[in-house]
Amino acid sequence: MKKKIIIAALAMALLPLLAACADTDVVGSESVNSFKEVLTAMDQNVSEDEMNGGWALVSPDGTERFIWSRDYSSGNPHDVMLEFDAKPFLDAGLDPSKLAPGILAEDKIMVGSDLGDEELSYKGDATPLASYEKLVELYRDRIKYHADLDHYGVNVGDGNMFEWAKDMSTNDKDIVFVVDPAQLIDAGVDPEKVEGWVFAKVKVMDENGKPIEVDKFLKPFSIQ
Amino acid sequence: MKETLKITGMTCAACSARIEKVVAKMEGVEEISVNLATEKAVVAYDPVRTTLDQIKERIEKAGYGAAEIQKKAAVVDEDKLRKEKEIKTLWIKFWVSTVFAVPLLYFAMGSMIWWLRFPIPFVFNPMQFPLNYAILQIVLTIPIVAAGYRFYTVGYKAILNRSPNMDSLIAMGTTAAIIYSLYSVYEIMQGNFGAVEGLYFETAGVIITLILLGKSLEAVSKGRTSEAIKKLMGLAPKTATVIKDDKEYEVPIEDVEIGHIILVKPGEKIPVDGVVTEGNTSVDESMLTGESIPVEKRAGDSVYAASINKNGLIRFEAKKVGGDTALAQIIKLVEEAQGSKAPIAQMADVVSGYFVPIVFVIAVLAFLAWFISGESLVFSLTIFIAILVIACPCALGLATPTAIMVGTGKGAEYGILIKGGEALETTHKINTIVFDKTGTITEGKPEVTDIITADGIQRTELLQLAASAEKGSEHPLGEAIVNKAEAEGLEFLKVSEFAAIPGHGIEVVIAEKKLLLGNRKLMKERSIDLTGLEQESDRLAGEGKTPMYIAADGRISGIIAVADVVKASSQKAIDKLKSMGLEVAMITGDNRKTAEAIAKQVGIDRVLAEVLPQDKSNEVKKLQSEGKQVAMVGDGINDAPALAQADIGIAIGSGTDVAMESADIVLMKSDLMDVPAAIQLSKSTIRNIKQNLFWAFGYNVIGIPIAAGVLHLFGGPLLNPIFAAAAMSLSSVSVLTNALRLKRFKPFR
Repeated sequence: MKKKIIIAALAMALLPLLAACADTDVVGSESVNSFKEVLTAMDQNVSEDEMNGGWALVSPDGTERFIWSRDYSSGNPHDVMLEFDAKPFLDAGLDPSKLAPGILAEDKIMVGSDLGDEELSYKGDATPLASYEKLVELYRDRIKYHADLDHYGVNVGDGNMFEWAKDMSTNDKDIVFVVDPAQLIDAGVDPEKVEGWVFAKVKVMDENGKPIEVDKFLKPFSIQ
Repeated sequence: MKETLKITGMTCAACSARIEKVVAKMEGVEEISVNLATEKAVVAYDPVRTTLDQIKERIEKAGYGAAEIQKKAAVVDEDKLRKEKEIKTLWIKFWVSTVFAVPLLYFAMGSMIWWLRFPIPFVFNPMQFPLNYAILQIVLTIPIVAAGYRFYTVGYKAILNRSPNMDSLIAMGTTAAIIYSLYSVYEIMQGNFGAVEGLYFETAGVIITLILLGKSLEAVSKGRTSEAIKKLMGLAPKTATVIKDDKEYEVPIEDVEIGHIILVKPGEKIPVDGVVTEGNTSVDESMLTGESIPVEKRAGDSVYAASINKNGLIRFEAKKVGGDTALAQIIKLVEEAQGSKAPIAQMADVVSGYFVPIVFVIAVLAFLAWFISGESLVFSLTIFIAILVIACPCALGLATPTAIMVGTGKGAEYGILIKGGEALETTHKINTIVFDKTGTITEGKPEVTDIITADGIQRTELLQLAASAEKGSEHPLGEAIVNKAEAEGLEFLKVSEFAAIPGHGIEVVIAEKKLLLGNRKLMKERSIDLTGLEQESDRLAGEGKTPMYIAADGRISGIIAVADVVKASSQKAIDKLKSMGLEVAMITGDNRKTAEAIAKQVGIDRVLAEVLPQDKSNEVKKLQSEGKQVAMVGDGINDAPALAQADIGIAIGSGTDVAMESADIVLMKSDLMDVPAAIQLSKSTIRNIKQNLFWAFGYNVIGIPIAAGVLHLFGGPLLNPIFAAAAMSLSSVSVLTNALRLKRFKPFR
């Protein structure tokens, strides 16, 4: 019996030890690897974004951008964000006056989140991948794994995501811009009339872990 | 030679069947019977060709423990302590596994049961931190597997010995779940996060926990089934007061030897069997006979271990000690009965022996069938695990022995000692019952039944004169008259002259009166006028009574009739048996007239009279040749051949060795109502066994196809292995609970 108690105690002791071990975050670490593959495959589309103090990954058609911050202390309103052309939505009935302030700027719609105000320091040069690694390290809850599509994603807030394929060689949707349609529909957009975007039901988990289907605007791209 | 071994490590009927199989194959082993419920093996062997050590070695080689049962009283406590420890250990194991299984189930199922809104820490979210989630489950599963390690050691050992048992099924089912889960963990580590859905640690953990719960409840229930024997064992006192050189020494019961003089004070228990040498008392022997009225004891009377000395201080000489006392004999008898197998149990054992390998084959075939039909590995594995877990035959193995244990134990409580499972089973089939007359239907000792006076003499005076005349007589009829006078507190008058008239009576002189006591022939020879009493005399004879005439100074004074009286319970018992649809007959060596008179009194229609003791068994045989299932009820000594010939021999006695050896059932009290009670108990027990077998078989017959996914074929649900484990444990517990219902048995009274 003593032996069994020791085994049980050891098992209990192992629990926090293992949980604390960063290497067990396979989703986080694997997302870095696959994001690196995306950055490599789209190296022409990745650039520094001076205005937002970070990096921008531009979609192949040049109308959407995923932006992530290099330094959260820069004071920019968004540390992670999506930026996309407003025209298809304006054409579909968007009334700009009905949108919250700051979302529509000139001909772009911007959705994102301010993550914090940490001053980030890098071991080497600050690179798009290194900044993503900082995002995983500091705001792991923003990184998602979407099992149905076998995608990783960055939750930029309010149901808006940037997703990319875990394995681009087997996935026909290598990157996907995911926009929550609620506030746009409230602002007059007829979702069926938005050109270039797919209005579809997407399976997600709500905050209780309940599997639900929600409406999303999706713009997928194959980059290979 | 016959020995009883204590067997450890058995978990289901397949284990007991395996032990029987391997030991029966040994040279020199004549017979072996292993009882799962009592965890005992009774083995008959030829000591010249094999030894008990070799038998034990063979059992141990088969993967079980075997130990000799010591016959000393101390074993009672050791056995009790061992059982208590076993139950305690099982509960500890269960609680340890529960402590880990609850969070395991919480984390594993919590995320799926979203409507219950179980909060799950972010770092253990299966979709975001699948490896953390998997490691958490591994860590929680390790202690559970440690608590249930016995399933693996015993289960795999049994497979290696080519005798898979219940543990093998549990071990294989949970190992499959764990190995597949570990493979899923490897997949997760390789980046296949979808493999998180292939984690089945909680299935293994919860199965082990539920089986441990079932085993714990089973151990508690098993303990309850043998309560009767524990009660009997608990009756024996631990010490005795031995007198040596006029000094009192309190010694342990084991140290009492034959010939020791033992002192028993009022209120104390009599420690061993013996004969009173000094003192008078009344002794409560109800624990042996069930008879609640204390029995008077004086010098020369026998006393029995565990009976209670009520009011007097006595000394007695020890005659039987240790395993030879009547109490020890009763315990042995009950233990043997509880350990024996009814024919119905043997059938269940045969089925159980083939059951596990067949189930394994079904599980593999179902797994392959689903997998080949295009279902996923996870789906097919779920089927495989569910079949292995749900099909455990432990309920089947417990169905009969537990009912027999409770049934025979309950019988012992009421003073009905049933000598084995076979006797218990056969009793319920009896349709004809034959009673011996003397000592069975009747008290077996003559008593004064009628006192008829004549010539103005008073009843008391007539009895006083007759008893005074017969005082000192050894004739049974004279003894009956003396007993009657003593019972009425009459004084005996002095006899001045006495003359015996062989074959006729006696002639005495009391208080200057010349008395003549004897039969009608004596009276006629002496020309005594019987006018007025002849009619009464004929009536008494017609009732099976023996009239004794008393004449004083040449004139008839009256008749004292003596007869072997019918027991108070005889008629009621026979009425009860008839109402149960049994044909009742009486067999006796007495003349037909007397026999018919007694039979008429108790309501028996079929009388087999003037049958010599040696012919009684032939009469039973004749009834059997008519296709009847016959029970013979007798006093167990002169009826021994008939008791042996009958399908069931029921001895009415005080627990003597002869009675115990010659019959299948011994009624410790001389109450004939115990005969219908024994049949009623047999019927209740067999009904209980049939219910148990129905549920145990039915459970497997229904459970296996469901586990194999038959319902799923038609759009129904798939059985989760966790529910299979719960159902399996429930089946054992339900069978035991049903057997324990027999404890509520109450005989006809």
